[in-house]
Order: sequence, then C-alpha cells, then structure tokens
Amino acid sequence: MAEGVVFDLGYRPHEGPRLGRSGARWALYRDGLRRVLGLRRRMRRKVFPLVLMAVAVMPALFFVGISVVLREFDAAATFFGHAQYFELTGIMALVFVALAAGELLIPDRVNGTLAVYASRPLTTIDYLLMRTASLATVVIGFLWLPHLVLFLGRAWVSGFGSYVADNWPTLWKTLLASGVYFLAYAPLALLIAATSKRGALAAVLFLGVMLISGGATAALVDSGFKSFGLLALNQHPGYVKDWILGSHAHDWIPQQAGFEPIVSLVVILTLGALCGLLVIARQKKAA
Amino acid sequence: MDSLPVVAINGLRFAYGDIVAIDGISTDVPTGRIGLVGANGAGKTTLLKILLGVLPAAAGSVEVLGMNVATRQLDVRSKVGWMPEGDCLPPDQTAADFLIYAAELGGLPTRAARQRASDVLGLVGLHEERFRYMGEFSTGMKQRAKLAQAIVHDPALVLLDEPTAGLDPEGREEMLDLIVRLEGFGINAIISSHVLTDIERTCDWVVMLDGGHVLRSGPMTDLSTPGELEMEVVGDPGPVVEALRRLGGVVESGGAAVYLKLEGGDPFMLARDALAETGVAVRRLGARRTTLEDVFMGEAP
Repeated sequence: MAEGVVFDLGYRPHEGPRLGRSGARWALYRDGLRRVLGLRRRMRRKVFPLVLMAVAVMPALFFVGISVVLREFDAAATFFGHAQYFELTGIMALVFVALAAGELLIPDRVNGTLAVYASRPLTTIDYLLMRTASLATVVIGFLWLPHLVLFLGRAWVSGFGSYVADNWPTLWKTLLASGVYFLAYAPLALLIAATSKRGALAAVLFLGVMLISGGATAALVDSGFKSFGLLALNQHPGYVKDWILGSHAHDWIPQQAGFEPIVSLVVILTLGALCGLLVIARQKKAA
Repeated sequence: MDSLPVVAINGLRFAYGDIVAIDGISTDVPTGRIGLVGANGAGKTTLLKILLGVLPAAAGSVEVLGMNVATRQLDVRSKVGWMPEGDCLPPDQTAADFLIYAAELGGLPTRAARQRASDVLGLVGLHEERFRYMGEFSTGMKQRAKLAQAIVHDPALVLLDEPTAGLDPEGREEMLDLIVRLEGFGINAIISSHVLTDIERTCDWVVMLDGGHVLRSGPMTDLSTPGELEMEVVGDPGPVVEALRRLGGVVESGGAAVYLKLEGGDPFMLARDALAETGVAVRRLGARRTTLEDVFMGEAP
C-alpha cells in the first residue's frame, strides 16, 4: 500500500526574476483590458461590452455571409460601405467609451485601490498611460474589426490576391479613422471619469456633453454663428473620418460652418491634450 | 544596532500647507518588527507615506533598505509592501484574482504571481475563500486580504498602518500572530498603531511620535526598569511600606500595590527582609513592568 507523505513547505520566498516597472505596467494594461471587457468580473459586467461588440460586428458578418452565398460582393450590393459603417459603430463607440472610461478609473479611486498602486513600482503617468492604452486597444479594435471582416469577405469573394493588392490602403485608412474616433471621445470621457464617483453618472454626463454640443451648435450654425461649429464635439471624428476615407456622403456641422477637416483634427488633438493634462493633475491629487 | 538599518531618517521635515506634520526627525531603525506609535495626528501615516515615496520630504533624507527614497522611489517600492489603514480591495474581484494582480504589479512574472498568491492566501487563512468576491468579506477577512496583498510580492519590508483597526478580539489576536510570523519569513515590518498593547505584543523596537517629533526610538527591552519591583500584599500595606523605607528603599503605594526602587542594590532582597520583618503576606511579586503607555504618558509634553 502506498504511503502518503505530507510536506509542510512553509513560507517560500520568491527567488526568481523581478520584472520591475515594465512588469507592473504590463499587468496594469492587461487588467485594463479585463475591466473594459468585464472579464473575471460578475456576469452583469460582461454583458454590455460583449453585446455591443456582437452588434457592431454582426452586420459585417451578415453581409459577408450573404455575399459568400451569392458569390457577389460589389459596392452596389452592399448596404454599408466603410465610411457608412462608421456611422453605426461610431455611435456605439461613444456609448462604449462613456461606460468603459468610468470602469477604468472610478473603482480604483472609490475603493481605495490607488493605495495598492502607490506601493508598487509605478508612477501616476504609468497608471494613466496603461489605462488609456487598454481602452484604446478595445475601442479601436471594436471599431476596426467590422472593417477587417468586410475587407476579408470582399477579398474572399473577389479573388483574394488581386483584391488585397488593389485595396490594401482601406485597411490602414479604416484603422486610422478608428483611432480618430478614439482620440475624439476618450480624453473627455476619462476626464469626467477622473472627477466622478459613480460610473453611471459620469457616462450620462459625457454622453450629455457630446450629444448636446452637437444639437446646440447645429442650431447656432444655422443661425449664422459659424464659429460655434468648432464646438460640435460629436461631429469632428466623423468629418475627419470622411476626409481620410474620401467620402462625401454626410454634411457635418463643422463642414456647414465652413471649416476644413484639418481644423476638426486640430480641435480633436487640442481637446485631447488639454483633457490629458487635466486628468494627470486630477489623478496626482487623488493618489 | 548590528546590521544595516532598514530605515535611516535624517532631518526629515514635511508639512501640509502651514501644518507641520513631521518636524525635523532623525532616527535609524534596525531589522525586525518595528512599532510606530503615537496619538492620532502624530504623523505616523505621513511618515509611512514618505517611506514609500508617496509624499515627498520637504527637507532631510530618507533611506529605505539602503536606497534613497527621493532618487530610487520605484526600486524602493519593488521591495516594500504597504497595508493601508483604509479600504484598498476591489469588491468585484475574487481574492485569488486580486492577489495574482497585486503580485504582478509588484514585478513578479505571471506564473510566480499565481504561485505566490496561492501560498500567501493560505498563509493568512483565506485559502478556502480565495474564489469569493472580496465585497462579500467580513472585516477580519478584509484585513487579512489587505495584509496578503502587502506581502504577496515577497517584499523585504512591509508597512502596516493600523493593522488591527476594526477587528474583534479574536481577529485581532490572529492578525497579531500573523505579524509576529513575518520575521520568520524574512520580511521586516513597521507597524503603525495607536494601540500600545499591540506594539508591546509584536515589536522588538519602538519609535514614538508626538506632534511630528520622535519622543523615543529604541529597543523594547530598554523599557524594562532594572532595580524596581512591584508587589501586591494581602491586607494593609502600611507596615511593609514603612519597613521598606526604613531599610533604604524608595516606595510608592496605591491600594494593595507597592512599588519599590532601590539604587545600587537588589530590591528583591530588600523586599524579602521587609516581608519577613513585618510578617505581611504577599499575593504577587515581580519586576516592575513599564508599559509603553507609562513611557508615552511620561515623555509626551
């Protein structure tokens, strides 16, 4: 009969490598991804991001499926082109960013977990950069994935090699446009999250600012106050996206006000930088 | 102090605006379990935050584990753990997930972090609860989880801010036992508390703070008072007090308790003679025990 032996290993100190700051930053980034996607959290945290992602990708999968069945995939048979697809996913990204920004910054502050970060080899800038990087990964991926699906579907139906050779710029252009949407939405959402105690409240405030700025500036531009077109915060990414993709299907408020798309890009970058500085100041105070 | 000090502080000052929290303190503390005592507002938590580099010193220098905190802040943090007084646990994460994450944040590779998290959760008695969300934990379990996150990356020094706060007597005993065991793991500890008996129970060195100044910094053994004894007699202590004074002792008494001090002699021999002479029965006899509270109350301005 085999005899079992119980070994008391006691306390075992860590004798392997220590990854220091880079390891801590990588851990923060991965934690950010899990938070944004609700992974390793209660079920209710997973539902919204996964449903939103499914809804964003489903039309693309549907069109690809139909095209594969019909063996036909030209622009006329496709309800959505790349520029039009952003109209759908852009709104969903706005809602997604509103909720995800709060999920990334608010619990750490409210639950006191910033004290744990303060005792690890990390700076406040590391913390914010990694949180932003995880949000960027998910949001840009969320916006770009349907375009990748459409692109591959079209390539499959149209003869892979020749289609890719002729249309590969679509991939980087849609990726760039996805990045513009992220830059237009995330900094303000993070700033509001950095000053709020409740995620839902921060999300509503962010969505309110974005949507009201669009409605109010439309009325002002119509009344002749053209310079207010710059304050249509929810309109700038779409205008820049059309510029990147060479589309003219939509008449954006900054366009109606007479501004060039480059001006919208400058507004996005300036607002992003300003919000970034304010988030850093706020976070340093909270830490 | 035989070995390199764990913490070396020289001329440290810190102020919140016009309010001076730390006023030019200098002290070295050795390896082991160090008690940091003082009333609320004495500067204990401020000092711990300065040791971590969370708050910058206004003047003076601080070295932790031989590293200057001002210039090697992140290196210090790789080797130091912190158990804050307030909440620091995300309620929507399981203890296991959070401990793995806390270990990775301390710089451990993922595989080692998983192993350490499992080991440390067992060590603090939370192994059975490791897959529960921490929002469901009792206060005692939360305190143990907070200690676990502070030591999960195997630091050389851990800073414990009021580790027994909010615990019932049983939980307090368990926490103090855990703290005593830390030294055996090679982890030095600085324990901040205003509960002096906790410090007496766990520490072998004490730093007393009051109003941003160091009242005393030294080993707990220095608190003993050689040449003094205390005894409790049965009945009226008057005759024995009189006999002790006549034989040359300095005597204080209160109720049945008699405190004897004898310069340059053995107070026990004197007590024996006085008790034999008067025939008074003794209920208890021993060396006079000076508590931290006696010292603190005696030295605080």
